[in-house]
Amino acid sequence: MSATVSAERPTVLVDITPGSREMRKRERRRKLVRGSIVAACLAYLTVVLLAPLVGIFLSAFSKGLPTIAETLTSPDVEHAFLITFQITVVTLLVTTAFGLVTAWVLVRHRFLGRRIMNALVELPLAMSPVTVGLACVLLFGRGGWFEPWFTARGIQIMWALPSMVLVTTFICIPFVIRSVAPVLEEVGTEEEDAARTLGASTMQTLFRVILPNIRWGLFYGIALTTARAIGEIGAVLLVSGMLKGKTETATIYVFTAFEERLDTQGYIVALTLAFISIVMLGVIEFSKRRKIREVAG
Amino acid sequence: MASAAQTVPRKRALRAPTARRLRHWTLRGAAVTYLVAMIVVPVAAIITKGFSNGLDTFREAMSSPGAWAAIRLTLATSALAAIINAIFGTMLAYILVRYRFRGRAALSAIVDLPFAIPTLVTGVMLVAIYGPNTPIGKAFASVGIQLMFSKLAVLLALCVVTLPFVVRTVQPVLLELDTAEEEAAQVLGASAWKTFRSVVMPAIRPAVAAGALLAFARGLGEFGSVVFVSGNLTNRTMTAPYFIFQLTTQFKPDQAAAVATLLFAISFVLVLVTSRIVRTERKEAEA
Amino acid sequence: MRARRLGVRLLVATAAFSVVATACGGSSSDGSANPSASGPCTMAETPVLTFAAYSTPREVYGKIISAFQSKWKEEHNDQQVIFQESYGGSTTQAQNVVNGFEADVVALSLAPDVNYIEDAGLITHDWTTAPDAGMVSTSVVVLDVRPGNPKGFKDFNDIAAPGVGVLTPDPASSGGARWNIVSIYGSAMHGYAGNAEGDEAGAQELLTGVFKNVIALDKSARDSIKNFEGGNGDVAITYENEVFTAQDAGLPDEAVYPPSSVLIANPVAVVDANVDKHCVRDVAEAFVEYLHSDEAKEYYRTVGFLRPTDLAAAQAGDEEMGFPPIEDLWPVEDFGGWDALDEKLFSENGIFTQAFAAAQG
Repeated sequence: MSATVSAERPTVLVDITPGSREMRKRERRRKLVRGSIVAACLAYLTVVLLAPLVGIFLSAFSKGLPTIAETLTSPDVEHAFLITFQITVVTLLVTTAFGLVTAWVLVRHRFLGRRIMNALVELPLAMSPVTVGLACVLLFGRGGWFEPWFTARGIQIMWALPSMVLVTTFICIPFVIRSVAPVLEEVGTEEEDAARTLGASTMQTLFRVILPNIRWGLFYGIALTTARAIGEIGAVLLVSGMLKGKTETATIYVFTAFEERLDTQGYIVALTLAFISIVMLGVIEFSKRRKIREVAG
Repeated sequence: MASAAQTVPRKRALRAPTARRLRHWTLRGAAVTYLVAMIVVPVAAIITKGFSNGLDTFREAMSSPGAWAAIRLTLATSALAAIINAIFGTMLAYILVRYRFRGRAALSAIVDLPFAIPTLVTGVMLVAIYGPNTPIGKAFASVGIQLMFSKLAVLLALCVVTLPFVVRTVQPVLLELDTAEEEAAQVLGASAWKTFRSVVMPAIRPAVAAGALLAFARGLGEFGSVVFVSGNLTNRTMTAPYFIFQLTTQFKPDQAAAVATLLFAISFVLVLVTSRIVRTERKEAEA
Repeated sequence: MRARRLGVRLLVATAAFSVVATACGGSSSDGSANPSASGPCTMAETPVLTFAAYSTPREVYGKIISAFQSKWKEEHNDQQVIFQESYGGSTTQAQNVVNGFEADVVALSLAPDVNYIEDAGLITHDWTTAPDAGMVSTSVVVLDVRPGNPKGFKDFNDIAAPGVGVLTPDPASSGGARWNIVSIYGSAMHGYAGNAEGDEAGAQELLTGVFKNVIALDKSARDSIKNFEGGNGDVAITYENEVFTAQDAGLPDEAVYPPSSVLIANPVAVVDANVDKHCVRDVAEAFVEYLHSDEAKEYYRTVGFLRPTDLAAAQAGDEEMGFPPIEDLWPVEDFGGWDALDEKLFSENGIFTQAFAAAQG
């Protein structure tokens, strides 16, 4: 059987029966195209991701395992991870608790200004972390809007943990909200309404009906928040005093390690951070898949 | 439902509407307070500080050495990275959705890696493999190309960091796209490229655009990786975010705020626009 | 309290509490006993000293601080002093302190930066009455070049030649940057670097030439040299001790000594306002005293690659450490001290200000 190929060119009769020479040629060409696309993608990924991963691995191990053990157990590094951990925990608590409430209000309520609220939630995603740090300086630094109030009470915000927590929280606000909201919407109100009609209290509804339904969306949001909080550098660099053992996060440690000519130590801690992120990525991928299933119903 | 109502104690049934309204307002109040305190106030501080003297602060900031160069570099590299990732991102999305091969799940995870890895670590990784003291770095240096601490380094860092955006926006659309049309085109003898161009492209074009715009917006604000790989040379490899950083550490927060507002305004508009595109896409896909 | 509202409130309260807890934890965990403004103040059991220094002497202060901690432990009943160190561009550090960074002791690159803190009212004693006018170490300005000095730089006029890529930090944030500029000016005025002695216009021209070639103004001396090591530029103007520190770390930095250099003198001072607030005055003053001791001087020499505070001794060099003698080494007093130099070079119509503007335009 023959057919015209295209209307733009003069009609050419081509044999496109399956198994014909033309079709076999086309099949070969198609395979070639497939192969080259995959090859191009792999090449690109190698250049931007895989090779750098190899690079950091080699650099971290360049002075051998003893150095790695020594670095990871040194007080500076341990403190740095502790600070990162503290900041991440508080960020998680705040963004999860308030994120749930906000997602709920955005999905279940209808009110004037809902669209503005939606836009506000997107806002931190559009902000460079430096800008977030700057905002903190403007609010709590010398001459800032809120600075006098805190200084009068002897509470230190800038150059200390509170400012670092604030900026990290700001940056992480959208994640839980954006991952829970679609799930809340999909899940619908039937079960919640039923529970309430049966006399369940808010807490009971929350823990027995709502949370289980949005479980994977919530998990996904928490995983994203954790990964982002651990990796924060731009904003904390501006507001922390970079005091070792006090206001130095793991990322700041890496940053200053290279300034102090402690390159290998920097690579080691950076690799550790990469490793933690990869584990987080596993969690993210896992919960993403479950979340998709959750949304699909 | 009637029988359920009978099991509810009478006094609760009477108080239900008031209690619910109270709960509504508590929740709404909490959400609004959260957003206002955490988001509105900081943003207001920046905009106010930046423009309290009108455009004078902005002009002063932009008269610093290397200011315009920084803005230009950021815009150019972000745009270029967005375009590169639009191309490769679409390819990646395509092979992840349409092809079956071993390691597909691993590939999908790898594509998401830049979302999980700290940006500073991304920068460190790039220097570790392409730095001036590495075999690759030295090889390129011998032919006159400086890989790290150059404009190229900025572009490379942005490509890594914005990699997932287009893939993630295009993938769901491709998943929903019925393969029947593509197969029909192939049966009718169209080449792979022609199939792609006439059947797939029109369907995914909005998603590609949305992903590219998100990548662009993301690139505008990127700091962690760029600060490490670019060398931050004024007029050469300094980006806008670093410029803002510099102004802030030099205790010129008003100037920093002026420039930051510009940058953030562009990104915010882009994020809102793409959010809308993505939401429309999702609704169309479901329909 | 009705259960339904209590639940939500509990959730909100927990979150708020954690935020506040961090805030309180952040401010009072300094180990300071009673931060009262008036009345006697008792030092905490484990006093915490916040130390802010310029970017270059990280390595040596790491060692000196450990030594001091051991010494204090021995002499004070096993008491442990905790140090929190911060390093950055000298001027930026001074500005940070003035803007609320509560450093108890500052070790900066040049006296004007300490004066800046003094002018803000945070230092209330005359810190120049300490030994050596408050200085603890000195150094000289050198040119950091590629291995083998391929371009054959010898003095500042060589790097002012067209086509040379120069790295020097930003005078707005780095103390080292100002030392560099003063050194260029001073050596030109002394008749070096191809300039006629006393020729101020020539000195200004030299500055313009050098700064035309500057490819980056990094925010600190350490950032600048790291930029150079990253492959940028042909030469970095830096401290002698920075080059030695780099060599110690195995890097191929090489120092070329211009024949004439300013005597870089680095001051240390206790910040009265902060030590009184944190109740650590005794420790802080003991620490600063220690920094002037012979023991510390040995550390400055061997670990910090710094020269001694005595001008003649600094000029003679140090054979053991490899510091060459300097032909013409002069203190800022030669030109009237920092006040006069600030006015002459960095004021609105200052020589450097004009030279820099000319270099840009």
